[in-house]
Amino acid sequence: MKRVLSNKWSIMVFVLPTVLFFTYIVIFPIFKTLWYSLLNEIPAKIGDASHFSGLEHYITMFTPGRRNSFPGAVVHSLEYAALSVFVQLPFSMFIALILANGPRGESMYRNIFFIPVVISSVVVSLLWGRLYKGLLPQIFESLGWTVPKNGFLGNAGTKIWLSFVPSLWQYVGYHMLLMYGALKSIPDDVIEAATVDGASGAKLAFRIQIPMIKPMLKVCLSFSLIGSFKLFDTPWVLLERANMDLPALSMYVEMFSNHKYAYASAQAIFIVLECLVFTIALNILFRDRDAGGRLLRRRKELA
Amino acid sequence: MKKKWSVGKILTQVFLLFWLFMCMFPLYWMITMSLKDTSEIFGPNPVGLPTQWLWGNYANAWGSGGRISNYMVNSVIDTFVSLAFTSLLGFMCAYGLLRMKWKGQKVVYTYILLGMMIPMHAALYPLTEILMTLTKTHWALIIPYVAFNIPITILILSGFITNIPYEMEEAACIDGSGIYRTAFTIILPMMVPALITAAIFVFLQVWNELLLASLFTTDSVRTLTVGIKQMSGQYQTDYGSMGAGLVIATLPTLVLYMCMSSQVQKSLIAGAVKG
Repeated sequence: MKRVLSNKWSIMVFVLPTVLFFTYIVIFPIFKTLWYSLLNEIPAKIGDASHFSGLEHYITMFTPGRRNSFPGAVVHSLEYAALSVFVQLPFSMFIALILANGPRGESMYRNIFFIPVVISSVVVSLLWGRLYKGLLPQIFESLGWTVPKNGFLGNAGTKIWLSFVPSLWQYVGYHMLLMYGALKSIPDDVIEAATVDGASGAKLAFRIQIPMIKPMLKVCLSFSLIGSFKLFDTPWVLLERANMDLPALSMYVEMFSNHKYAYASAQAIFIVLECLVFTIALNILFRDRDAGGRLLRRRKELA
Repeated sequence: MKKKWSVGKILTQVFLLFWLFMCMFPLYWMITMSLKDTSEIFGPNPVGLPTQWLWGNYANAWGSGGRISNYMVNSVIDTFVSLAFTSLLGFMCAYGLLRMKWKGQKVVYTYILLGMMIPMHAALYPLTEILMTLTKTHWALIIPYVAFNIPITILILSGFITNIPYEMEEAACIDGSGIYRTAFTIILPMMVPALITAAIFVFLQVWNELLLASLFTTDSVRTLTVGIKQMSGQYQTDYGSMGAGLVIATLPTLVLYMCMSSQVQKSLIAGAVKG
């Protein structure tokens, strides 16, 4: 038996094709991007260092200048992250708490609130595009309000914010469901005990329910932060071509319109680093502050 | 006492109905738009039910004008071939990594799961170098779709595969079944629920993918997401047909969700860690 399960040849047959394929398509390109980001010209053979330019692109990326839009793009992505964390997540939490309390029509609401998540982001963006370009001006006109001169997506200052709305709207259902699932898995007797002790409503939510689902909150936070830095589909569909107001858009335009492959690679690496830094930060933030686990442990001790 | 309607309960329902409206309105609007003509959409009736139900918009989007039918076929092919490969490779790899016993299996497992943290953006340009010659075929999308979805598939499968008792293999081994037969005829059938969970997640990822699809497809293999994005530019004047295109593109995922909503929700919860 043991011999069969540790047969080297069959292990290779099972594992090797996937590992090689995965390495070639996912891992190898990332290191290649990293290498490219350090060159001033592509193509250069791996190991050919004559085009090596070190961290030049990374410095250019953050050199303030009128024509350098990348720092602004990074700020926009941080603004989106802030909106997601401070507006979208609390709102989703609010819905999840209400639903977890078991109102009438609980599962119907949950199922319908989740519908936007399964719809393609292109469809969602195009619909919101029609809303901004068609319906909203019509509503404004019929109410006698002034429509912005170039339309809602024509104002350089506000269009990026409007392009945030569809994906914020779309993923409320996702966060709601994640939190709802976690809330539902809190043992009934914990809630009962807290209720007997006089906790209810907001107190129950903030003292018991939310602390107990911290692990899931971490998942939601990392999902929304990483999503912010990678945000691409919605603004790409909604905004005009060659918009560079977000890191991923900027990278795309530099790469495929301006053909500055090396420079765009540096931006891509920056996006990866940004995701990595925030993932690590979240892990540190949530380390050993596992209040839910502590509560459970204490309950076990008492029992 | 529980059945009484208090102020709190009514407010709760009002709030829930408000968000229900916010979730459903775009869908309702999309469907009604798909049955109107442009003058009605821009005229007196932007949000009401259509005065005349113009099913012709669908024929227009599906057939001659929009070629949604082509895009649909391409999306179906790409999605199902990708699903087949991710399931097969994912299962084999998960089996070898988590079921069999060898040195370094933890290292390789971690190596693959780390791939989940990496956004596709980071591999974009080198991927174009690898895939540019394939853009007239479906492989230009299937290859990266499979590769990038293998980690999440293995992660979802890992929770199930480690729970299967080893007696399964022992019994099969005593009966003289080889390792491959055991894996594919005994363990694989037991993994079907997990495979479905993973497959639904991958299905939604692949079906809705835009970035790679817009880079690596030429006209004959264009997928739905890119197709309808292009259509929206092309159909500037015919919003009814554009609406019909959107409905057609949304239908498969919506039908899947309606038929097995709890399964879809389970899949997306399982895939949440991907970020």
